[in-house]
Amino acid sequence: MQDKLIVIEIDEAGNSTIDLAGFQGQGCGDVAKDFRGDDAVTQSSKKREFYAQVATTKQTQRKV
Amino acid sequence: MSQYEELTTTMSDQQYLVEALTELGYKPEVQPEGTSLRGYGGVAWNRPVQVTIPRDQLRGALAPIGFGRDATGVFQAVIDDLDRQYLGLDQAWLGRVAQAYKEKQTMAVARSKGYVFRGREVVQTPQGPRVQLRFAVR
Repeated sequence: MQDKLIVIEIDEAGNSTIDLAGFQGQGCGDVAKDFRGDDAVTQSSKKREFYAQVATTKQTQRKV
Repeated sequence: MSQYEELTTTMSDQQYLVEALTELGYKPEVQPEGTSLRGYGGVAWNRPVQVTIPRDQLRGALAPIGFGRDATGVFQAVIDDLDRQYLGLDQAWLGRVAQAYKEKQTMAVARSKGYVFRGREVVQTPQGPRVQLRFAVR
């Protein structure tokens, strides 16, 4: 089974992206919610793997 | 004569703000009840700020920098306009503060939620350096 990995990148303005791999179903949403906090999500997309049982998602978020 | 200007931020947690400024090499001072700001030549800001960087930590600056909470609890930066213009204490500088703030916040969330830290890397991009943090699920 693929390891569950979370990669967060923060740019020079404090905006961040979260890239999740190896998660299934609701798991990725829960992790994204943990790290999102009060930030606003400006972009969210699912990778191809999401539709093959193992869910991955990528979100871009910005502080409100 | 210079004057103070208020710059918008999205930072609201005092602890992460202080940690971010410390990481950038400053020794910020915290006044929970708030204080006013006074700089060279009589420049002043009379609305309360809770976090300050004293002028002697800002090489060549005319005035200290302050961070004061607005009505919604979000910190707004108060910076002398000439320091902003000539010392680079501008929106880009404030962005670096926000970047360090977000890193502190992310690390704290990861600790509190039990994620396992796997590493930190600074990735150079055409838009500037991006801090990359990696975590695994316990």
